[in-house]
Order: sequence, then C-alpha cells, then structure tokens
Amino acid sequence: MMTDTRSREVGRATSELSLLVDIGSAWTKAAVVGRALGRWRIAAHAAQPSAWDEAELIATLAARLAGRADPRVSARIASLLADAPRIAVHTPARPGRIALAAVSSELSGQAARRAAEAAGWVVVEAVTVDDGRPVVDRLAALQSAEVDAWLIAGGFDEEGGEGALEVAGLVAAARGGGRSPVVWAGSAGLTERVGAFFEPGVLRPVANPRPSADRENLLPLRRYLDGLIERLVERGAARQLAPIGFGRAVAELARASRLRVVGVDLGARYATWASADENGMAESRVVALGGLASPTLTAPGGPARIARSLPLAIDELAVADALQNLRARPGSIPQTDEELAVVHGAVRDLLTDLTANGPQPEGIDLLIGSGRTIGSAPLPAQAMQLLLDGIRPIGIVQVAIDPAGALGPLGALRDDEIVEGLGTLRDDLLTPLGAAVVCRGGRPGHLSMRVTVHRVGWRSLGPIEVRPGQLEVVPLPRGQVAELEIELDPAVSLGAPRRARRIRASVTGGAVGVVLDARDAPLLLPRRSDDRRAVLGAWRDTFLREVRPPAEGAA
Amino acid sequence: MIEASLHRIHLPRGTVVSARVGAEIKPDEVIGLRRGAMAPVRVPITRPLHRQPAEIEELLVVRPGERVDAEQPLALIEGAGVVLAPVAGLVLAASGRDGTLLLAPLGAEETVIGHVRGRVRAVEEGSLVIEVPAARLHGVGGSGEAVHGELVVGVPNPGDELRAAAIDAGATGKILVGGSRASAETLTRARAMGVAGIVLGGVLDKELRDFEAIQRRRREAGGMTGAFGILLVEGFGKVGIDPQLFSWFRAHAGRVASLFGADGLLYVYDAAPLPSRRALAKVGDRVIAHRRPFQGRGGVLVGLMEDLHAAQSGIPTRMALVRFEDGRLAPVPLANIEATLAPEGR
Repeated sequence: MMTDTRSREVGRATSELSLLVDIGSAWTKAAVVGRALGRWRIAAHAAQPSAWDEAELIATLAARLAGRADPRVSARIASLLADAPRIAVHTPARPGRIALAAVSSELSGQAARRAAEAAGWVVVEAVTVDDGRPVVDRLAALQSAEVDAWLIAGGFDEEGGEGALEVAGLVAAARGGGRSPVVWAGSAGLTERVGAFFEPGVLRPVANPRPSADRENLLPLRRYLDGLIERLVERGAARQLAPIGFGRAVAELARASRLRVVGVDLGARYATWASADENGMAESRVVALGGLASPTLTAPGGPARIARSLPLAIDELAVADALQNLRARPGSIPQTDEELAVVHGAVRDLLTDLTANGPQPEGIDLLIGSGRTIGSAPLPAQAMQLLLDGIRPIGIVQVAIDPAGALGPLGALRDDEIVEGLGTLRDDLLTPLGAAVVCRGGRPGHLSMRVTVHRVGWRSLGPIEVRPGQLEVVPLPRGQVAELEIELDPAVSLGAPRRARRIRASVTGGAVGVVLDARDAPLLLPRRSDDRRAVLGAWRDTFLREVRPPAEGAA
Repeated sequence: MIEASLHRIHLPRGTVVSARVGAEIKPDEVIGLRRGAMAPVRVPITRPLHRQPAEIEELLVVRPGERVDAEQPLALIEGAGVVLAPVAGLVLAASGRDGTLLLAPLGAEETVIGHVRGRVRAVEEGSLVIEVPAARLHGVGGSGEAVHGELVVGVPNPGDELRAAAIDAGATGKILVGGSRASAETLTRARAMGVAGIVLGGVLDKELRDFEAIQRRRREAGGMTGAFGILLVEGFGKVGIDPQLFSWFRAHAGRVASLFGADGLLYVYDAAPLPSRRALAKVGDRVIAHRRPFQGRGGVLVGLMEDLHAAQSGIPTRMALVRFEDGRLAPVPLANIEATLAPEGR
C-alpha cells in the first residue's frame, strides 16, 4: 500500500516511491520501492527486454501495483512511477579490449589472461612464444587487433628472460605508436629495458602475476586493470556499472550481516563473482564475455560439453543452434523444455568456469544467485540446482536469489546509503531458497553423511542417510530454523579441516528446504550417455519433486 | 529517402591512409597503403663489431618496435664500425645470446580498400569513419571478410535451401541471397566459384563451423584467394528469411551491396528503405517469431494475454497470441516476437 506522506495539506495524495533499475544488455529489471504500513518495501518488480521502451516497463509495474496501491493514488500510479526518483545501474556499453603477449601460454599467459578477464577485459588477441605460430603471424595478429590497451607478461622476477623481451619487442612493433597504454606485468628486473621500447609514459609497470614457477600473484595486476578499464572505457560513474554495484552491495551485505557472502550475477554479456568476508573485505571478478552470450559456449567443444550435461537426450547440433540463438537474441526466452534445459546447461557451465577462475568457494555462509536466468528460474528448486551444480559451494551454506535484480542498483548508492538500503529492504531483497550441505569425497559403498534435522517446535527428521553421488531435499519452510546434526564419513570433507566427524549447524529454511548434497566436487558423471542421463535425470527429479519429509525421528 | 549511417573501417596498424576527410569513396577504391611484415631475419650485430653477444644493447642505435629503412645504421661503435639494416623492416628483438637483431623485412606495398561507398567523415587512430548513404541491414551473425558486389537472389522462395547446384559462374563476384539454409558444401562451392558473399535466413552452426574449418585449413595450406563473407539474417538452424525482407531483396536485385561478415552487416546502395522491425509488437502487427518451436515463422499478433502466463518451459512471461501464416493460433512469449513493418506504410 502506498501512503501519502507529503502533501496531505493540499488535499492531493502523493506517494513516496523510488525505482531500482538495472539496465542490462538484454533485459532491464526494475523494482518499485514504496512505503507500506510505515515500512519501505519492494512493492513490485518486473523485467522486460531492454529493447522495449520505458513506458512499457512503467505500465507493467503499474499493472502489478494495481489493486494494491492506496486508492487515492492508484489512478495516477503510472505517472507517479514515471516521475519517481530512480537508482539505476547499467551493463557497460562495451567491454575493454586488450591484446596479450606473453612468454608461455601455460604460466605467464594464463595468469595474465585470468587477471585481465577477471577485471572485465576481453582478450581479443593473445600471442605467446610457445603458441606454435611463426613470429610473422604473431606480429600480423597483433597488428590486426583492435584494442584499447596492451598487456605483456613473462619472465620470472629472479631470472629475467629473453623471451619476455622478445614479446615486448613484438608488441612495440605491432603497436607502432599511438595512445594505447601498454601494461608490463613481467619480470621486475626487465622493466627498464622494456620501457625503452616505447615512448615515455606509455609503459605502465605492474607486479608480475607469475613471479616464480610455483607462485601466482594476480591481485595487483587485476586491481590495476580494474582501474584502467574505468579510465579508458567507462570514464567516471563506475558505481553506476552493474558489475561494480553488485560487488559493492555484496560487500556491504557481508559486513552488515557478519557473514561470508558470495554473489554471482549472470547476465547476457557479463558474469560477476563477488565474495566478501564478515568485515566486508571484498573481491570481485567481472568477466566481460562470461554471460549467456559467451563465445566459450559456442566455441568448438562447447555444445558437446553442454549436451553431455543435460538430463534430456538433445543432440549436439540442436544444442549448438540453441546456444547460438541465445547469443544472437539474448532478449528472448526459452519457450520449450528442451531450450530451457540447454539454457540451464549453459548457466551451470558458465558458473563452473567462473568458479574455477578463483579460490575454491569453501566456508561460505550465504550464496546469492542473481541475473535473470537464475533469479527468474521457473521454480526455486531449479535456481537452487543451478547454483549448487555450477558452484559446488563446499560446506554448509544458505542459498538465496535476488529475484528483482535489486542488488546492483543498491550498490550504486553511497557506502552509508547501501547499508541503509539493505537494512530497509531486508525482507524483500533476497528470496531464501534454503540451505545446502555440500560435501566433497566419499567412498563407494559407504554413507557420505547421516543427517538429523532438529526443528524447533516440531519432531526431528531423520537420520537421513546420503550416499556418495546422492542428494536429498528435506522440507524446511522459509524462516524456520533447524539444527542439523551431521555425521560425516572419514573420507568426506565439508571444506575446512575438522577433527570431529560429528558436526552441528544451524540453518534457516526457504522455498526449497535443506539440500543434503553428496555429489562430490566437481560433479562426477558416468561416461556412458544413457547412464549419465539417468543420473542427471535423477538429480533433477530430486530437486523438482514435491518435497516430502523423510521418516520422522524421535522428537 | 535513406538516411546515411556511419561506418567505421578498421585499418590494420601501419596503414598509411590516402583518403581525405570529405572525400567520396567507392567500394573498390584504395583508401590506404600498407607494407606487411615478412618472416623475420637475424642480423648479426656483435660479431661484425667484434664484441660479445651480451653487449648488444650497448651497441644498438635502434630499439625494438622501430621501423628502419634499408642501409639505416642499426648499431655502431664510434670510429670503429657500423652495422646497417640490410632491408627496410621492423625491429622485433635483440638477442643477448647470439648477438643478433631480429628484423622483420617489410613486404611490397599492399592496397587497403574499404568496400563501402560514402563520404569520409573522420580519420581516427586505427580507423576511418565513413558516412554511408545506403539501406543498412544488421543480421544476427556472420562470418568472413568484408566484400562488395551486385545482389543476386539465388532461391525462388524465402524458405528454400540454397543448393550447391544453384551456384554457377554467373554468381562470380556477386552477393547471393539464399534462403533458409546452406550446407558447408554449398558455401565451399560458392567460395570456389568466386561468389563474394551469401546472405542467409539461417544456417546450422555445425555447417558454418565445418565451412570455417575448411577455409582455415585451405588458408594454412596457402593458395586461397579472394575474400568471402556470410551474413545471417534471422537465426541459427533452418530459418527462412522473412518474406517481406525477401521481397525487398528481390526488388533490389542488381544493386551494389557491401557485406561485412564478421560484423553481421549489409549495405545496399541506391535502395528503398528496408522493412523495419520493432522489438515490442502490438496487436494487429505482422510479426516474426525468433525461438523454437516457431522460429522464423511469420504471422499476425491477434491478442495479448493479461498478466503473466507460463510458457511451455515454465517461465512466467507475457504471452502473445499469434495467428501464424499456416492458420495455426498459438501463444508465444511476447519477448520472442518482433513486429515487421513495411517501409513507410507500404
């Protein structure tokens, strides 16, 4: 209900409203924040293809509010929404393009590429000394690349290395002057010599992401490239970028709730991974081509990989066409079951990729899924499965989604306002899916875990026995707290090393309940296609089946 | 009247632009010259100067990245000797191991052509901005290089597949408008027959990949000549070109067009406006569906369902009722259709 708070004296009701808007490359999400019974709530939210006009979005939101708004303002709700102040974020207009030249594809090249991609750059061309191409082809490739910046990596700090000088020379020759900056992330001992290849001020030295054969140090390079992309591609107003806003909101949420939080936002073009600890210390990775239109999905091998991960028998050619159509028309939605299965297969694959490019997610307290495909999955259980299959968050974790896509816009506020916004909208911002106990390891023929669910005021459930490769879903409604008593097999781990095999943990329920997941990490699947589909189908059915409580134990 | 659109031609580094701002250019006009690098040679530096290889950097008077002319000094010791560049080239690296300089000789001058007709609006770092007065069609994908040629319609109906047998010597240098699909064999034959480009409603991803793989292998083996571009208009799979657009192509057969495969872009000169598309269709609009099971099929939007309804996949969304051309009435997510509008109310 919208309340008139400002203009009673003039006899015309108004309303305190604001809009949180996330303008994505394919979909625009908007949430109406208004006051109801003295509290700020998300009163309605809607999403539409970004190609549609704003009037349509306002009309949809107005229709959702119809009948719920105060009768004094309901006739004017569309104009109130159109005039309402808005907090908006958007997907970057275009990603930063960088060319990479490195000594080794496996060591320096890999490290530099990961740092660049995690900072939101697209590596449009990569050459390495060991890429098997003649020097002249490498030069031609670099000369043809359309880039905003150059990145050179290679040589261990202690050893220097002629290879690094060679690739630096290649970049100098290919670049041929101009304004584009060159980032030197190679051996510290070579900085001066490499600097001499370029005009004064062009070379920007950064700490070596691969200082030695056995050590990686990506953070300084990633942070530098974070700043560079803001300066070169999205000048000013970085807070209004959806990936930045999302990361800030996750960090503040972690600090305010004193939880370790991981948020993943999967859009059409961008994928963002944001993790933060109890103190709000945050790390985020923004992959510019990591979303559903990612070329990795349609690259050779991609469709076959996705086809293998589906519980339905869909041939690789159809999967390839479906993925290409998803890339070509990201504002459309999967209409058939088969297309939805392909899209969900793609989401799992992209989340796995996103997770693999950083430290393993262990010891997370809260996992948040955002982006239209996850946040608006037809069933909450499907969203839960996407997140658990894709990320494999080892440990005991609460899982939630951001259905209105409100985290990004909230993260565009000033730091102190984010906390206020999160606190004000705490009941509506996230939809809790429930909790998950995800373990790694297990021995065939043995139980992975035996779990008893003690519910406050209700009879206990279990013990529920979960074998390797199995999962069980236990009902636990939203808001209900339960104490889990978990007995682990010695070959099974919940992440952090523990001496005790018996663990107690408190969890809160949600739309799905509590998922007891002993499917290992990464997921292990049979090689034979029939067997694999049977296993995948069984997992899907476990998630989707109407959750029935297992045998009740003693109260 | 067609409004001119701006087109950016990416120039390979090292291109010396010959076109001036304000100049009118034609698709086959030379807009710049470039000398590409050839396989590099090692030029001994320390040996002729009787120095140790490790001393090379002290001797050099050029640095990696620099362009040198033939006979330009590369290294010298005052009063004791000099090493001259044997050919004009790009300095790539200096080796402290063997005391040599890696020099990539510059090849013969090559011409750079823009493949578009229009007026040069700006010359920027690495690109040329052209004002192109042509009908501009953005496809959903494409492949290959920039090409230009005369438009030729290669199939009788928009839903027909372009067969290899339909391509003969008459199509050489032309841009062929196909139908709903072309196999890798057809595409390979088209290229071999000297066809400049192909416009298709759809293509199977597998066929396109097979074709690209064949081209890559041929390029690696050497001997491949001529550029070839493909433009995909509707989507992947067997998808016919929208009949309205197909009629437009028919009406414009014989006009010169420029096709930019990698950018998924086609310009047709001296043309009437294209049938346009509107993302949000309204009741009464002629529409085209973009996702299965109706992908590429046209019809009329006869109604919008109130509130959200679940699509077959279970996704709650706004649904439209479409009467397809085969008479079937079906609910389709509104996000999956586009209105197709005849140019200027025709």
